Amino acid sequence: MKKIHWIILGILFVITLGFEFTTLAGYDSHWWNAIPAFYAIFGFVCCVSIVYVAKFIAKNIVNRDINYYD
Amino acid sequence: MIEFLTIPGVILIAGAFLLPFIPEKIRPSAFLVFPLLALFVVFTRPDGYTVTGEFLNYDLVMMQVDSLSRVFGIIFAITAFVAGVYAFHMKELGQQSNALLYAGGALGVTYAGDLLTLVIYWELMAIGSTWLIWARRTKESDGAGMRYLIYHILGGGLLFSGILWHLATTGSLAVETIAQEYSVANVLMLLGICVNAAVIPLHTWLADAYPKATITGSVFMSAFTTKSAVYLLIRMYPGWDVLIWFGAGMAIYGVLYAVICKDIREILAYHIISQVGFMVCGIGIGTEMALNGATAHAYSHILYKSLLFMGTGAVLYATGTSKMVHLGGLFRKMPYTFGLYMVGALSISGIPLFNGFISKGMTIDAAGYAGNETAMLLLLLASVGTWLSVGLKLPYFTWFDKTENDIEVKKLPLNMYIAMGIAAFACIFYGLFPGTLYVYLPFEVNYQPYTIYHLVEVIQISLLTFLGFWLLKKKMAPELILALDVDWFYRKAAPGVRKVLVTKVDAFYDRVEDGILTIAGFLTKKFKNPMLWLNPFTDKKNEAFRYSPSMEVVMSFIILSFLVLAIVYLV
Repeated sequence: MKKIHWIILGILFVITLGFEFTTLAGYDSHWWNAIPAFYAIFGFVCCVSIVYVAKFIAKNIVNRDINYYD
Repeated sequence: MIEFLTIPGVILIAGAFLLPFIPEKIRPSAFLVFPLLALFVVFTRPDGYTVTGEFLNYDLVMMQVDSLSRVFGIIFAITAFVAGVYAFHMKELGQQSNALLYAGGALGVTYAGDLLTLVIYWELMAIGSTWLIWARRTKESDGAGMRYLIYHILGGGLLFSGILWHLATTGSLAVETIAQEYSVANVLMLLGICVNAAVIPLHTWLADAYPKATITGSVFMSAFTTKSAVYLLIRMYPGWDVLIWFGAGMAIYGVLYAVICKDIREILAYHIISQVGFMVCGIGIGTEMALNGATAHAYSHILYKSLLFMGTGAVLYATGTSKMVHLGGLFRKMPYTFGLYMVGALSISGIPLFNGFISKGMTIDAAGYAGNETAMLLLLLASVGTWLSVGLKLPYFTWFDKTENDIEVKKLPLNMYIAMGIAAFACIFYGLFPGTLYVYLPFEVNYQPYTIYHLVEVIQISLLTFLGFWLLKKKMAPELILALDVDWFYRKAAPGVRKVLVTKVDAFYDRVEDGILTIAGFLTKKFKNPMLWLNPFTDKKNEAFRYSPSMEVVMSFIILSFLVLAIVYLV
């Protein structure tokens, strides 16, 4: 990833925040709409959680040698 | 008779039996004719069209058309065609015939108006698909194919038992909506369908077999078995609450394993379970919007999942491996495959402008509109896992990660690119023009995917998931490992079960057989000349060939019987 890619992604994120605080400011169909940048936080927290939970399950429960069933 | 031959499923099954008589050179082209014929029939038969018949005094409805069967019929026929293009270079008759048989079974299920017709097509699917696993001809595929077959015999048996019970209690064979009542018949049928839908914990056959099937076979498999089961759940079990939580559970379970697994086709196999979970959850919610969402998502899923299997199949074809640990750094060598794969990956991740966006959002929103925000958040969580595993992890460790890969890359046949191109075009087309899919859905659609709210939601989730992946990607680095699943219980139990039910039983029968032979030998020897032991006063040296003792023996038995009867009478 080059710096320019991060800048583009950053700009895109700022644009979504802009819409959230203007056009969607009064949007209230779920309880989480009151939390600013909820979907961004949700995406990041879920991603990190999935990675760590999967890693934990893999390491402690399910991972075996590739020839385990042979 | 003519009407019977125009049933879409029958067209493909007839094709399966005709292919052996067609010369090898033109067989791949002939293969494509049958899905096109079926597609023509699917488009031209109006709502309410039926083909009926009679069997053993039962009135059968061998074809029944409505909007739900049509939308599944369209996508099954299209996929059979696209997969046929992908397999155009493959000359193996067994695979070609069984692929058509399999697709015919799925189309047959879609249009079956009665449960007996349905179960026949259901079993044909199992036969055709098993062949596509065994055709890989490896030790792993042999074992996986057998486990797959046993699982599907069990599933078919459950479904058929349920159907017979249902027939006995209601007298009806109609394929129709079943009220939420946990009777024996309803539960047996539901379990049978859930096996094919890969509902956890009945899902292990899928993750076990799909990665081990042939390159072309897995493309067919990704489309038909689970989605024909989804069709049947929509038809028969809409609004069954239990499906909401099993569906949400599948969605998350699938992505967790997709993050754990290190084989690119295994990742996709687990992802089928996750995606079908979205549909099962929608079916459980049961509102018109949720059922539309499940149907639309099945339609989209078949397109992008077949594209993803074609992309990873192309990698396997070119490099000879699907293990991520041997891959990476392929971007320079396989850039077009990467591009086409990414269309499928962006679609499955529900990125705007691709077809997953127009169907996944509908299913998730349906949970919200139905007041089930927990299910909605669980599905959103699964969406994060989808983007993470299929959209980021798999392509990153296959095409990037290393700067270069020394692995030899074989040139792909042109037909593989064409098939992937058709599927990629369809994914983008439906993403750009959602109305072209919505018009075929079973209920009127009042859903607008391209709203600012949806775009903000998806873009924020996707961007921050990407950031999370980039920071933690080393945690998902390839390894040469095997991930256990609940199939461990029966795979580990298999030797013990075999010992008790096969080896021990065999040994018992062997002992019984030996005993009987010994007794028979003893009696034969003794009765060769019974006079030797019946008449102790006879000449021991007499021989059977010059002295006939028969009359003496008969008389002895008569006198003995008379004495026994006399004693019994007197006592």
